[in-house]
Amino acid sequence: MNGSEIFGAWVAVFLTLGIFSYLYKDNPFYKIAEHVFVGVSAGYWMSMFFWTQIQPNLFGRLWPTPDGAIAGFFMKIWYGIYNLFGFILPSVFPDGGIDKGHGNHPHFLYIIPFVLGIMMLLSVSSKFSWMARLGIAYTVGMAAGLRAYAFLNSNVLGQIKGTAVSFVDMPFFSLTGVSVFNNLIILVGTITGLLYFYFSKEHKGNFGKVTRVGIYFLMISFGASFGFAVMGRISLLIGRFTDLITYGSSTYNYASLWVLLLMIGLLAVWTFKGNKEVAS
Amino acid sequence: MEKFLDFIVRAGSLDRRYIFVVIALVVLLPLFFPLGLPIRPTIASQKVYDVVEELNAGDKALVSFEYGPSTKPEIHPMAVALLRHLFEKDVKVYITCLWPDGQFMAMEALEQVAEDQYNKVYGEDYVLLGFRPGNEAVIKGLVSNLRKVFTVDANGNFLDDIPMMTGINQVADFDYLFSASAGYPGTVEWVQYAADPVGITMSTGTTSIQVNEVMPYVQSGQIKGILGGMPGAAEYESLIGQAGIGTSGMDAQSVAHVVIVAFIIFGNISFFVERRRSKKY
Repeated sequence: MNGSEIFGAWVAVFLTLGIFSYLYKDNPFYKIAEHVFVGVSAGYWMSMFFWTQIQPNLFGRLWPTPDGAIAGFFMKIWYGIYNLFGFILPSVFPDGGIDKGHGNHPHFLYIIPFVLGIMMLLSVSSKFSWMARLGIAYTVGMAAGLRAYAFLNSNVLGQIKGTAVSFVDMPFFSLTGVSVFNNLIILVGTITGLLYFYFSKEHKGNFGKVTRVGIYFLMISFGASFGFAVMGRISLLIGRFTDLITYGSSTYNYASLWVLLLMIGLLAVWTFKGNKEVAS
Repeated sequence: MEKFLDFIVRAGSLDRRYIFVVIALVVLLPLFFPLGLPIRPTIASQKVYDVVEELNAGDKALVSFEYGPSTKPEIHPMAVALLRHLFEKDVKVYITCLWPDGQFMAMEALEQVAEDQYNKVYGEDYVLLGFRPGNEAVIKGLVSNLRKVFTVDANGNFLDDIPMMTGINQVADFDYLFSASAGYPGTVEWVQYAADPVGITMSTGTTSIQVNEVMPYVQSGQIKGILGGMPGAAEYESLIGQAGIGTSGMDAQSVAHVVIVAFIIFGNISFFVERRRSKKY
């Protein structure tokens, strides 16, 4: 176990216990952990996006390593711009172009996303913020178009097919497999659940009774969701505790124990001081 | 009787921090003193196992990592268990990541399973294609032309130089797809943009909270089986006969559930007693 791993474990323990300390009440340890989390996440995401997408896939396509010497007036200007960028940021724009497997000729079509991206960044300027709308409009339009077909195919047609159940050639009741009883539940649940969201007719009389059955199905579904949510949160707690137990071993110089004791001590002092100030 | 009801009402307004302490204890104690409660696979987990069992040596599986450290306790055990099963059957594994942190989760899982346990060779038995931002657009890209989305793998090697990438140009070239997903983009997007249009056999492993959202796709046959959260992982571990992190956490999970259910029942009794008294006076 090297020093950096042990240090990492101590930091992980501090941040975990710092977040847990909020269960007692809002305190400086929680604030530190919260701010570190937000800051590191933002920095990490930005760095990750830049080095996995913008540098290799955008700049790599705009300025790929040319095949031999650069010929032609326009290409010389184009790679002249690249060299200028390279002078400022040599790690992003290395000498001779970016070789990420996108061929040897620039893909000029990628100037469009480049420009749209810059436009979106202009939202920080009050004078040019209107330009950001173009980039956002493109993104929204593209996403809507991309999703329309997929939703129709998988969520509408696929799910309708899924509820078109059979009632023949199967046992009447089975807990573990397909059965008439299970299919009946699917059929009744789907129809009554959908009818509950039909608001053009008042939910009274027989129609009201049917929609009430729909509510019960929805309630069962919400109950299942709640149960799964609890299960998920307990799993995460188990994960953190497992790590804290690991980091509490002698290999990590009893990090969990020391940090816990230190935190409890400092929180006690902080609370005591706070109470005294309130009293005075 | 009245004294008992008084106690119930008073306990109902107990400081929530005592409840936190109780939950912490019931989760911690089984981790130190395992109970060895039995784990029975559900139909949904069994289906995932059966689909992987049907794969032959040399078949190609695309595994997508869509989770990060925040959901690692739920998804990582099942990702590790699935990789064990795939490598056991000598299936070739291709890994993509729709979440940036997924790449690090994949690296950790591969180091543990492919390198340390099965001595698999990178580039011949498995490849880490890495992360690409773009959510469903990335899936759409993989369906139409994988080579446009990935020109290099996560280590910067050109795909053309990786032996097991020969003949792999799109999602349709794979025999099996597994999405280890903790949210968006994840399982639902893989169904919508890859499994349904291409017709590739797909299974998934999700966080517990997603199970309700994904289950209709399993019921309709669009997804072949689902591993739901840590219990799903534990069930898969029992199916492949290799206990792991999922199994070790299940005792704590079960005990915690019992205590939470008890709290809910107690809270409801307290609420109804209090309501009856307020009506009375």
